Amino acid sequence: MTTAVHAIAPTTTGFWRKPGVWFFFLSLVTLSLAVLNVGIGSVSFSAGEIWQTILTPREGAAMTDIIWAIRIPRAIAAVLGGAYLAVAGLLLQVYFRNPIVGPFILGISSGATVMVSFVMLTTLTVGMTVLTPFMTTVAAFIGAYGVMMIVVAVAARVKSGITLLIVGLMMGYLCSAVTAVMTALAEKEAIKGFVLWQLGSFSGFKWSEIFVMLVCGGAILIMTYAMSKPLNAFLLGEEYAASMGVNIRKFRILILLFACALAGMITSVAGPVAFVGLAVPHMARLIFHSSDNRILIPGACLTGAAITSLCDLIARMLLSPVELPLSAITAFFGAPIVIGLLMKRRVKL
Amino acid sequence: MNKTTTTSVLTCRDLSVGYEEKVILSDISLSFEAGQFISLLGPNGAGKTTLLRTFSRHLDPISGQIEVMGRPLARLTAMEMAQFMAVVLTDKVSPPLFSVFEFAALGRYPHTDFLGRLQAADIEAVENALYAVHAEELAHRPFSDLSDGERQKVLVARALAQEPRLLLLDEPTIHLDLKHRVEVLGILRDLCRTRGITVVASLHDVDVAAKVSDRVALVKSGGLSDWGPPETVLTGPAVSDLYDFREAEFCNQLGGIELRGDGRRGRAFVVAGMGTGAQVYRMLAKRGFAISTGVLHENDLDYFVARSLGAECITRKPMEAVDAESVAAAARGLSDCRFIIDCGFEEGALNRENMTLIEAALQTGKPMLTLRKNGLSTHSTSGNGASLIRCASSAELLEAIDHEFTGETTGKPLSAQEGDAL
Repeated sequence: MTTAVHAIAPTTTGFWRKPGVWFFFLSLVTLSLAVLNVGIGSVSFSAGEIWQTILTPREGAAMTDIIWAIRIPRAIAAVLGGAYLAVAGLLLQVYFRNPIVGPFILGISSGATVMVSFVMLTTLTVGMTVLTPFMTTVAAFIGAYGVMMIVVAVAARVKSGITLLIVGLMMGYLCSAVTAVMTALAEKEAIKGFVLWQLGSFSGFKWSEIFVMLVCGGAILIMTYAMSKPLNAFLLGEEYAASMGVNIRKFRILILLFACALAGMITSVAGPVAFVGLAVPHMARLIFHSSDNRILIPGACLTGAAITSLCDLIARMLLSPVELPLSAITAFFGAPIVIGLLMKRRVKL
Repeated sequence: MNKTTTTSVLTCRDLSVGYEEKVILSDISLSFEAGQFISLLGPNGAGKTTLLRTFSRHLDPISGQIEVMGRPLARLTAMEMAQFMAVVLTDKVSPPLFSVFEFAALGRYPHTDFLGRLQAADIEAVENALYAVHAEELAHRPFSDLSDGERQKVLVARALAQEPRLLLLDEPTIHLDLKHRVEVLGILRDLCRTRGITVVASLHDVDVAAKVSDRVALVKSGGLSDWGPPETVLTGPAVSDLYDFREAEFCNQLGGIELRGDGRRGRAFVVAGMGTGAQVYRMLAKRGFAISTGVLHENDLDYFVARSLGAECITRKPMEAVDAESVAAAARGLSDCRFIIDCGFEEGALNRENMTLIEAALQTGKPMLTLRKNGLSTHSTSGNGASLIRCASSAELLEAIDHEFTGETTGKPLSAQEGDAL
């Protein structure tokens, strides 16, 4: 067979089967949703006013504050949050070869929650109410990355992915147990705020936080994309991956590190946003009709950004001025998709 | 086996394999050459998979050396390993949304660039791999939709896309139907012949392994019980020992396994020869009869079958005529038989005396079933015509046996095992 008869190599056919088309389309959707998120809110402004404010922000004006300090950071946070959580979920689904794995399966959110419960539910911070938003972020950060370090340390020792998964789940239960005790002991008023934090929100992002997220998260995304070849090999399981020349010990740590870092970053500021990381990778697979991580990583980013922007818009606007919990909206989207995928067994990972 | 290093693809010396200090196999010395098909045989749990996983470096050897192409295995980089050997494991893999072509293309991993993009040469290699396993028509199908047999072929194609010199397969034919079992083994043998790839596979079917392998390694109770060409290694006793057969025996000449009966329905005497008896023996064994037979030549198909079934055989050397002495010996065996079967063999110069044996059998007055076409010329001497049952076919013979000879012993026929080998 010396003559190359490229008779059986696949050829991409059909306009909507080309990944580039979808990349462009999803980018457009994300951008539009971000613009809508800036444009729509409980206080209504005309398009011209907003444009003016963006071009020439006036110090001290209420409108400038609303647009520049609240709406734009929030719109960007939703885009980044959706993208990062989706990629974190994708990474763990690939690594564990399991469709019902999400970015929080290893206890990232539980770790963040337990630390936040210390801040919000105990009297440790009495008199420090001014610091509370910042304290919450710091606590969630410590919790999320504390758990991540434990998980990665365990991963370096155990060989089996299933063992690691169970260790992660158990860590989650341990943290939840502590949180439950804290909740039982807490005062009623404190509990409502804590419960709302647990449902996640993209409000209250500061520009400095967004900047850090953009730089660190962006770097991780690029490194993740550079890993897409070994990630594809991981689709066959660690044994096959090793037989094809993948240094599984190294990549296992990197996959977990990147996934946890991305999820932890969002969780620190936004709280545990449910379902995005679980459902979006599946949606991306459906949209791009592929499991190739070279397509899915950017694909999941864009899909996650679009979906999360949409969810945030709905959360803010559905019962405006009351803001609905973000996790409630994402679950409305996520649950039917997960159920549908389980029914239609074609798409399983 | 020692110093033919020029063509040795993989050599191991005094190798011990196992998990974390628990030695499963020890003192293994093997040498695989280019283009050989090597089968690892042995009962489940003997350590075939452990040995394969040690060769593929999924497990570290406990002691001893493994060399590939004259270099220590442990020194190879992961990429060198991947370009040298590929594996087909028993793990169930089913990545979603992969076409068969894309799946096989994953095997190009050690050859592609940083992002794994396929160049023209890669596409050609994948296509060749798919052609080699006769899976070119599956190329566009989703991998997760394939049947077990198709999937196994594509798993082999993925390994071939790696362009290895050594292919390790763990139980490549398990869970496959007969068609795919034969096809996969045929594909693997072709790879050895046409591409010079060395194939090492753990197999379950001794009879098939004997037919496809250039070398077999018998793995049992902590070590290698034998190693060499199947023609010399796979003798009946060696196979019986390997698998602890008691009710069965592997026959080297027939290349198959014969299942013995328990003999609790009594003994039958079969007068056969020139292949007429083989089926009758198996039929009797399956139904729980012990067998005596004679007089057979020692190169007769009937002899090999009868011997593997544990029959008492009265034999003559090839090309020597059946003589009065051997007939007399056979006739002595008639006494403890419930009935006699005449298989209807052709008469010739070397076996004419067997007709005398039939005469003698008729004289005993025991029931005789005959398959002889023109009927047995009931010589005037045998007055008892009722004891002679003529059967036109083996089906009739079977019916007659079941009908006539049920009562005496416990009578329950053995579960009908399909004793006939492939």
